[in-house]
Amino acid sequence: MNTLLLSHELLVLALGLLVLLADLWLPRGLRRHLGYAAAAGLAGILLFSFLAIRVAPGEVQYAFFEMYALDGLALFFKRFSLLAALMVLLMSVEFAESMPTGVSEYYALTLFALLGMLLASSANDFALLFVSLELITITFYVLASFHRSRMTSLEAGVKYLIIGALSTGFTVYGIALVYGLTGKLNFNELAAVSSSLGGNRLFLFGMVLILAGLGFKIAAVPFQIWAPDVYQGAPVPTTAFLAVGSKAAGFVLLLRVLFVAVPEVSFQWGSLLIVLSAITILYGNLCAIPQRNLKRLLGYSSIAHAGYLLLGIAALSRDGQSAVLYYLGGYLFTLLGAFTVLCLVMRQVESEDIASLAGLGQRSPLLAATLTLAMVSLAGLPPLAGFVGKFLLLKSVIAQAPAQPGYYGLAFVAIAGVVISLYYYFGVIRAIYWSRTAPDLSPIQPSAPIRAALYACIAGMFYLGLFPGTLVNLTEEVVKVLR
Amino acid sequence: MTADLLFYLFAACTLVCGFLVIANPFSLNPVTSAMFLVLTMVFLAGLFVLLHAFFLAAIQVLVYAGAVMVLFLFVIMLLDLKAEERRRLKVFGITTGLIAVGAILFIFLNTLAQAPLGASTTPELEGTTMALGKLLFTRYLLPFEVVSVLLLVAMIGAIFLSKKELK
Repeated sequence: MNTLLLSHELLVLALGLLVLLADLWLPRGLRRHLGYAAAAGLAGILLFSFLAIRVAPGEVQYAFFEMYALDGLALFFKRFSLLAALMVLLMSVEFAESMPTGVSEYYALTLFALLGMLLASSANDFALLFVSLELITITFYVLASFHRSRMTSLEAGVKYLIIGALSTGFTVYGIALVYGLTGKLNFNELAAVSSSLGGNRLFLFGMVLILAGLGFKIAAVPFQIWAPDVYQGAPVPTTAFLAVGSKAAGFVLLLRVLFVAVPEVSFQWGSLLIVLSAITILYGNLCAIPQRNLKRLLGYSSIAHAGYLLLGIAALSRDGQSAVLYYLGGYLFTLLGAFTVLCLVMRQVESEDIASLAGLGQRSPLLAATLTLAMVSLAGLPPLAGFVGKFLLLKSVIAQAPAQPGYYGLAFVAIAGVVISLYYYFGVIRAIYWSRTAPDLSPIQPSAPIRAALYACIAGMFYLGLFPGTLVNLTEEVVKVLR
Repeated sequence: MTADLLFYLFAACTLVCGFLVIANPFSLNPVTSAMFLVLTMVFLAGLFVLLHAFFLAAIQVLVYAGAVMVLFLFVIMLLDLKAEERRRLKVFGITTGLIAVGAILFIFLNTLAQAPLGASTTPELEGTTMALGKLLFTRYLLPFEVVSVLLLVAMIGAIFLSKKELK
């Protein structure tokens, strides 16, 4: 058994258990700094991953009866989630001041959620898909309600629990139908028989239910209803991890299910995906316009971004798939930068209204610059990462248009969405620099690790915006394992 | 023949009890709903027996009907949900719910009517404890082990969220 393929997972699991145990012996004052140790551990694992783990392009290594696959795609998402978790942990150390207790548990749970994402990126079997999804979701129930003393946080936890349980029900039912018809759970085995099942409506019904379950995870219409409330109520680091990590895990599973397990079926589903993507983009962008609460605004914007990412999947081509990966890469730096700023500002102001950003330009030029750049990148303006990502997605969609005119409509909707989004993203920037009244002008001093994380986010946004070549080559290499 | 008869009996009882859990016309008492849920679980166990999944049937009775539901009942009785009994059902909720259920039911029945059932080879179910144990510790070892982490997370979460005093 080549258990060594699971070295990322085993290391993260060990780190999580260590953090949990270290809490027993550490004096209370030091517990907050356990987050730095955990982040350093993740940095070590990331370094190990880059130095020691190699996968030849197009090669897939299997473990546990082909249930677990290590290929370029899995490795890309593993490194992606490790990086996201690292920044989230740094953010949580800042956030920990407002938590009365359970700081180490917060770090440990973040690591366990990361474990779920690592497993999800390698899942090549519905059994592992289900268990890793549940590991992510159940951890997030707890992480979302971690601010026990706040009603909004508990409400976020309960809402996520109820809707998450419902989506789990959909997924299980879908898997049961697929298994009942084929007797197979493994994606490779399913791929061998799925070509003959493309016309079987019971099989398609099962696949639609599985798609619905994954739709909840990425917050795509019509399964988006939880996102704004949960984003608003959950603690900021949880929201950040939910928006980046959980969404990415949903997308890697979607890619694998659609393009490894049932490619024949998904090529029939072009129109369904076009409609879903278009409605998601419009819904997210239109609902974000009236929002005054910054976290809620980002919740709606994350729905819109799920729609943009679905563009790449709806394109049903290699270019589309690689554009999804590229977009997620840019999204990571952009969103984590924005949430880190929110984490610092909201701690000081205790209000989440956009107006609380007033005077941020004077209070901390670094924070103001990061948030501004993040908003520009989310809106998709050059020369930042968001622009290149959206450009690649649109390009992949338009390349498909001659065969199916529906893609022209989809591209039009996406561009309209970008134009709408300019309004609310620039509302945030206006609040930072051009607010009339600024109640609080005390300077904010971010700690050294946070400053480093912010600089890394800015560098990431600029690098991916100005020199897209490296990552584009990598993502094109990586998606060769998909159909 | 007997098996067919038993199947329809158990299936009908499951459906009726399941309906009574969520929409009991005679009582809005949550305890009654929970008791009907216990009955639903028991009849489901009967269906599992008919599928030769004996282990699953035993677990269904022991864990779900026995342990989990008793806990449910404890919680319901401790919470004293008097308000729930007086609650009026909202027309909006009922209509949207019925439309959603109806739509899914329509698609499902439509699908079932046109699906070539029995054409594909459904796997022979070997529900003995030994076969199941072997599968769990060989083929499905990885998800099985991951579930242990899941349980750890659930335990941490339950303790953290329900601890009385925050220290």
